[in-house]
Amino acid sequence: MENIKLTFKFSKKIKIVLGSLILFGLIALAYGILNFSSEKVWSALVLNSVNFVTISLGATFFIAIHIITQSGWHVSLQRIPEAISMYLPIGAIILILMIFGINHVYHWTHEIHHDPVISGKEAYLNIPFFVIRLVIYLSVWTLLTLKLRKLSKNSDIDDGLKFYNKSRTYAALFLVFFAISIVIFAWDWLMSIEAHWFSTLFGWYVMAGVIVKSFALIIIVLAILRSLGYFEFITTDNIHDLARYLFSFGIFWMYLWFSQFMLIWYANLPEETFYFVKRVENYKFLFLLNVVLNFAIPFLVLIVRKFRRILWIVTSMAVIVFMGQWVDQYLMIFPGSMKEVQSIGFFDIGLTIGFFGLFLWVVLKSLTKANLLPENHPYLNESFHYKNI
Amino acid sequence: MSEISTREPLIKGNKSLTNITDDVFNPIVARPNKLWFFGLTIAGTAALIGLIAIVLTVWKGIGLWNVNKTIGWGWSITNFVWWVGIGHAGTFISAILLLFRQHWRTSVNRSAEAMTIFAVICAGLFPLIHMGRFLLAFFIFPYPNTRGVWVNFNSPLLWDVFAITTYFLVSLIFWYVGLIPDLGTVRDRMKTKFKKVIYRFLSFGWTGSAKHWQRFEIVSFTLAGLAAPLVLSVHTIVSFDFATSVIPGWHTTIFPPYFVSGAIFSGFAMVLTLLIVARKTMNLQDYITLNHIELMNKIIILTGSIVGVAYLTELFMAWYSSNEYELFTFINRATGPYWWAYWIMMTCNVVSPQLFWFKKLRRSIGFTFFMSILINVGMWFERFVIIVTSLHRDFLPSSWEMYKPSIIEVLIFVGTLGIFFSLFLLFVRFFPVIAMSEVKTTIKNK
Amino acid sequence: MEISGYYDREANLLDAVKKLRENNISIKDVFSPYPVHGLDLAMGLKRSWLPKAAFVGGAIGAISGFGLQAWVFTRAYPINIGGKPFLSVPSFIPVTFECAILFAALSIVLAYLFKSNLGAGADNKIYDERATDDHFVVVLDASNFVHNDAEKIKMKLEETGALDIKYHN
Repeated sequence: MENIKLTFKFSKKIKIVLGSLILFGLIALAYGILNFSSEKVWSALVLNSVNFVTISLGATFFIAIHIITQSGWHVSLQRIPEAISMYLPIGAIILILMIFGINHVYHWTHEIHHDPVISGKEAYLNIPFFVIRLVIYLSVWTLLTLKLRKLSKNSDIDDGLKFYNKSRTYAALFLVFFAISIVIFAWDWLMSIEAHWFSTLFGWYVMAGVIVKSFALIIIVLAILRSLGYFEFITTDNIHDLARYLFSFGIFWMYLWFSQFMLIWYANLPEETFYFVKRVENYKFLFLLNVVLNFAIPFLVLIVRKFRRILWIVTSMAVIVFMGQWVDQYLMIFPGSMKEVQSIGFFDIGLTIGFFGLFLWVVLKSLTKANLLPENHPYLNESFHYKNI
Repeated sequence: MSEISTREPLIKGNKSLTNITDDVFNPIVARPNKLWFFGLTIAGTAALIGLIAIVLTVWKGIGLWNVNKTIGWGWSITNFVWWVGIGHAGTFISAILLLFRQHWRTSVNRSAEAMTIFAVICAGLFPLIHMGRFLLAFFIFPYPNTRGVWVNFNSPLLWDVFAITTYFLVSLIFWYVGLIPDLGTVRDRMKTKFKKVIYRFLSFGWTGSAKHWQRFEIVSFTLAGLAAPLVLSVHTIVSFDFATSVIPGWHTTIFPPYFVSGAIFSGFAMVLTLLIVARKTMNLQDYITLNHIELMNKIIILTGSIVGVAYLTELFMAWYSSNEYELFTFINRATGPYWWAYWIMMTCNVVSPQLFWFKKLRRSIGFTFFMSILINVGMWFERFVIIVTSLHRDFLPSSWEMYKPSIIEVLIFVGTLGIFFSLFLLFVRFFPVIAMSEVKTTIKNK
Repeated sequence: MEISGYYDREANLLDAVKKLRENNISIKDVFSPYPVHGLDLAMGLKRSWLPKAAFVGGAIGAISGFGLQAWVFTRAYPINIGGKPFLSVPSFIPVTFECAILFAALSIVLAYLFKSNLGAGADNKIYDERATDDHFVVVLDASNFVHNDAEKIKMKLEETGALDIKYHN
């Protein structure tokens, strides 16, 4: 293990590439502001802010769940989700800025007194309470994420076991809070866009999407770092396990999607079905594409064991899943916030590319702040030596 | 491996390979103790009483039950869902925990899987009896027939037929595939000729060849991959029985995952009830350690909390939906004539598992045993609350009704408890209760 | 004729298998009380094709499950249920899924039993009853050896730490 790079160097070349991605996003934003309605611009901004903030939250979930279950397989790549989770504070600030555009996306903010159904929900759907909830979960998420990261970093200097045992309390706290807050987050930021609509499963459905997305991003970031010559010590079995996660949680996501859709379709109650009627009729292509990208393609490819062990195949599946989750989020937001049927164009994609550039910048920047391998982690050896059936 | 580890050893007592064989083999040949005979007598009597009640029902008709037009599903479907739920822990342990590489499952998976199979047998009885004409039950399978009709593939009740049948068969196969090597060990140890012949037959000619082991591992793993989504699907489809309807309190999209979680919750409670007794009476404390009990209690907190969050989500959505029927149903559950059932459910399922956050209580065997019973009671009441309270207040107030079970319904339930415990007692007597070969892979001093 | 060597430790067994193979002595079979990790690699066993049986079975199950429902509801017995279309795909999914799982599980298990010659009443040769308890057995095919070779093999087995060596006819 002599030639292995244990620290990451954020070279100028990468900075230029990422900087131009961000610039591209800003151009797209300017183009959008000049050409489209404020509803569309704000909807797209909300989509991307929510998307990336939940991805970094999912990365903390990844770390916490592995601490709590005393897993060992992931230790060699643990610094990647840690770095991804470091986007959370910045993402949180961006999400708070979205409050300024809340009128353009969420009809309940101004229609509350004209609409009897919405006014019945006023005790929950009102701007002050919305903001209070937002501040509470963003700050708890950020605090616990930073704490877990700090404990992990400390373990590099000192006794690994001590910090590991300490982190178990925080991981448990995080998981409990995450499980409740992500559901409320989903109601607030995604479900309330269709203020009339309700579905008890929605929160868990969004949670499954968040988990899948963050697995996909971990794989994508790993592949990028591998192509730059880092993380050579990741074994084929590590990749196999990541692929399995992507595969099985993709199925889980599909299961929740189906449960929600089928029950509403089957019972056929008008106060619920209008949500899907809108989406099937006006966005038929995206509606089907959602299932194809998130489930059909990754399922059929990753079911083959050989493919689960090849990084570029796994990575392309991760990219497809990431796009699929983007489409899913698009379908949650745009049909609700916009009266006219929308099409995806330069603006929507460009803005996401810009956000991705910023996201990656933060992730790579935080990678430089710690060793790439948590050398004192009690289960480090295990992640090199286990074999998959 | 020389790494530092904070994990506790999986089994205690520094066992050698032969020790493990001895510990599992001896109860099979030893004369069972009085407790065992006593248990079997009680369970067998209960089963017999249940059988009589079933025969009476088939003979005289469903009129012996107290279900009526408004509450068409009473105890029978409550018990069905309860038993199916209990039948989820075994396959969860052996499939999902295998995929997640939780090696501790090796000590408990065999008995948990057996329990699953017995629970599914008990569950399957109820719809069969409830259909009224027991002997024509095969009508529910789709086959070309002279009546010129086909089954209704749009009906969740038919999906249930497929789900339960598949689940029963796959669990049975999975369990038996795992049993084959251990039955081989029993065969090779057995001294009496007659028993040897029987175990030779049961062990399918197992030799322990490297090629067989290689295939065995890959088959177990693939079966686990198949059984994992199957576990989710079974209780999902059971929940569809309710959720596809438009009855307030039944039609809610959270039902599928919430039912699955509740099923695993109650299943683990039943596993704990059985194993706490079994480890004591069969001297398996070294295999089913305090650590195993603690880990299972952790799964109970997890699934119990998921169930709790689901209850609260339902309540919130009943208000948020602005649907007055939905809201009425939930207020009626908590304050209506069946309020006591609702609050039993809430205390047993949501409040009490939270006590397991304390490590001391998680590792207390007496407390865990008490909790496991409490949770099973709570989960029974959950199904009762869902079924009866949603039905007893119809859309038409003129059909509002009350329901309490007849003695026959109660006896059938008691009977299934008897069948379940009898089968389990027979299982621990004649089969290796611990997956020997799997435990042998986990010990260090080999 | 066959020669079998007995070991009481997993590590010795793996060692012996490697050494024997290095000396170009082909191993007929190895018996162990539990799956020994790395043994398939040491013996040079190929990966099993059994998961493919599950895949094929599952695909057949899914297609026939869906096909049956579609045929029944569009051709054999079309009936209006709750105003749903005859070909109501969402409500066909559960049965399709269950059929896929059932067929996949049955195919892989049947293929496994058939391929391994396991089944009710199967009477495979047992070299030593300790092999399912705590001993590891290496079996060599010695029918082609002349007497001297057999002696040499025996020496080799002893070298690798075999506790016991037996001849079988």
